Amino acid sequence: MARMRDLKLFQRRCVAPALGLMAMFLAHAVVAGDPQPLQAPAVTGPATGLANSAGLRSTVFGTPPQDIAPLPDSVPLLEIDASMPWARPAPAVFWFDKKLRVWFSAQEKPAPLAIVIAGTGGDGDTSALSTLRAVLYGAGYHVLTMPSPTFPGFIVSTSSTGVAGDLMQDGADLYAAMQRIVAHLPRKVRITDVDVLGYSLGGANAVIVKSIDAREHKLHIRRAVMINPPVSLFASVGRLDKLFAISIGSGDTGVEHLYQKLYAQLANLYRASDRVQIDANFLLSAAAQVLKTDEEFEAAIALEFRLDLMNMFFAGDLYAGTGVVTDPKHPPRVGDSLEETARILRGKPFSEYFTEVFAPYYLAHRPGSTTDSLVAANRLDIIADQLRTDPDYYAQTNSNDVILDRAELDWLKATLGSKIVVYDHGGHLGNIGERQQVADMLDMLAGRWHGVSR
Amino acid sequence: MNRVMSSMLLSLALGGCATDGFDMHRLPPETPAADNAAAIQKATVQAAADEAARRERSNTPDAPPPLTAADAPPAQTYDPWQRLNRFTYRFNARFDEAVFLPVAQGYRWLPSPIRTGVHDIFENLTEVDSVINYTLQGRLGRGARSLGRFVINSTIGIAGIFDVATKLHLAYAPTGFGTTLAKWGMHPGPFLVIPLVGPSTLREGAGLLVDYGTNYGIDLGNIYRGDPSWGVGTVNAVDERANVNFRYYSTGSPFEYEIIRFLYVRKLLLEDAGLHRQAIPRKSDPTVPAGE
Repeated sequence: MARMRDLKLFQRRCVAPALGLMAMFLAHAVVAGDPQPLQAPAVTGPATGLANSAGLRSTVFGTPPQDIAPLPDSVPLLEIDASMPWARPAPAVFWFDKKLRVWFSAQEKPAPLAIVIAGTGGDGDTSALSTLRAVLYGAGYHVLTMPSPTFPGFIVSTSSTGVAGDLMQDGADLYAAMQRIVAHLPRKVRITDVDVLGYSLGGANAVIVKSIDAREHKLHIRRAVMINPPVSLFASVGRLDKLFAISIGSGDTGVEHLYQKLYAQLANLYRASDRVQIDANFLLSAAAQVLKTDEEFEAAIALEFRLDLMNMFFAGDLYAGTGVVTDPKHPPRVGDSLEETARILRGKPFSEYFTEVFAPYYLAHRPGSTTDSLVAANRLDIIADQLRTDPDYYAQTNSNDVILDRAELDWLKATLGSKIVVYDHGGHLGNIGERQQVADMLDMLAGRWHGVSR
Repeated sequence: MNRVMSSMLLSLALGGCATDGFDMHRLPPETPAADNAAAIQKATVQAAADEAARRERSNTPDAPPPLTAADAPPAQTYDPWQRLNRFTYRFNARFDEAVFLPVAQGYRWLPSPIRTGVHDIFENLTEVDSVINYTLQGRLGRGARSLGRFVINSTIGIAGIFDVATKLHLAYAPTGFGTTLAKWGMHPGPFLVIPLVGPSTLREGAGLLVDYGTNYGIDLGNIYRGDPSWGVGTVNAVDERANVNFRYYSTGSPFEYEIIRFLYVRKLLLEDAGLHRQAIPRKSDPTVPAGE
């Protein structure tokens, strides 16, 4: 790649690596007031959490279409691009993410509003959100689907810090965005009640938003349902880091090897097929043939999370000015190549995001905080009392979810009591939209849920 | 003057309403029940097709030797015109968001049978290129299939409005001069983002030009050189856009250009590998970016 532009960037990033690293290290030491390097939260137990072979497969393939609950014939859709007055200026390379994009489906008559939040890295129109939108609309709700606070479009357009992953901060940003959007919905839309729900990290975001609303009373949120939530954000992603290291290998070399192996497998399948072009059908069929062992499913799960993390890491580094992959004094400009940055980032685990971006930023902005307190602040037990005593918090999860371990599942059951349902299949989000999951979710939202009777 | 007024009205109509930093666009309604039914149907058909392909493979003694990880092309992509390509990618994204996508979304409000008919007409026209290029590639069986599709759909299918051939198990499988060049052994060449079209490579871009030239030369029904050519071209472009499920920067990612480039060129290289069933493509040289 004889590209002058690349060469200049590469030189800029390679001539001064020692200086950059030293500056970064010093910044961490000054910020933390501690000469010891920051430690990422320790991960114990299996990297696959509670997932068995079936759980891993469900996590990758999702709900089979024949198991999906009855869906309405037609769902109206309004796309809303909203600017948030409190947002920080968008860095040049994020010129396309200046407005928060959400989707809204309105009922003709007065109806409750369901606000649904995507999981890690998801925008406001993921396939899981699309399914939830359809079933909720079919059940008579107005539906507003929102991106995860870890989606780059949210980080740039809405986050007040630019450093995603803090439950309370992300919850506060989400809550503010929800208020602004609800206030600007078309006038003919008549809302009787507001419920929030979300899947994966979005589930944790949903209950945090409800807990904030319980103090501030701006939206008067009635009920919250979390679907496959994490209990400890950092423990869950730490497990995915570990999964990546085991199934793919550490650093960029592991990704390179995985790519070569996948390419050869896909090429062989394609050469053996009678197809003319590679399309979605081929890829779907190929996935079923390429992924066979548990290790291969684990690699697929770990890789998907790593791709989401790359965006979050890059944006956080840029906003926090931590200089891990971007030069704070010379941030990348529109049109600059980000190839080398992407190559470095795909080898970086979440633990490095925590120690190099997240913790330095929040330690500097939250006087008196420590790395331990930051980790503790990202566990659902910060609102354990509400979860335990308030009858309007609900959860749905699976006994073979990859992002939970035994102790976390036990904690959810003990805390939520009869307000949680645990399915014996589905892995992580592999039964979203399934008939029973939808029926239970609608019962919870409507206040008809009285515990598992099956 | 009328044109200016029309353009302004069109912009207002397409722009939706915008107040206080809010832009709202009404999209065509989603059809979840039909989409899920189609997914179930597709999964069933796919399973049957995969099973048939598996049986055929096991009965084929001269199956090509399998590729190994060492045969995979490098993860880097040959992109010597990156600066220009990135500029064009941004231009395409802005044009798509401001003009192309709203028009395509407007088009999607038309009843489904009308859109399907229009789409089938344009697909039928591409059979001419397919027949010529399959012949140039020496794949005469496929060429005959494309010719059969063209004859059936142009007659029984009333100028291509109805895709009768697919119902007769003659599946649509288009090809073009870019693929012919690949069959003749040409590598994809440098990555190239074509204005208004999107990701391509030098070889595929040249292929597109030749395909257009061929159509222009044949001028079937006088639609490529006659008065209606602009209108037909526009409807063709809108129909194609409405059938492509892609939106620029919906990933929200600053690495979208890198991701699209990687995926597009790998898809092309995989298709190239499929063209050479009896011979393994040359071993990849990790120092030479993919596509060069």
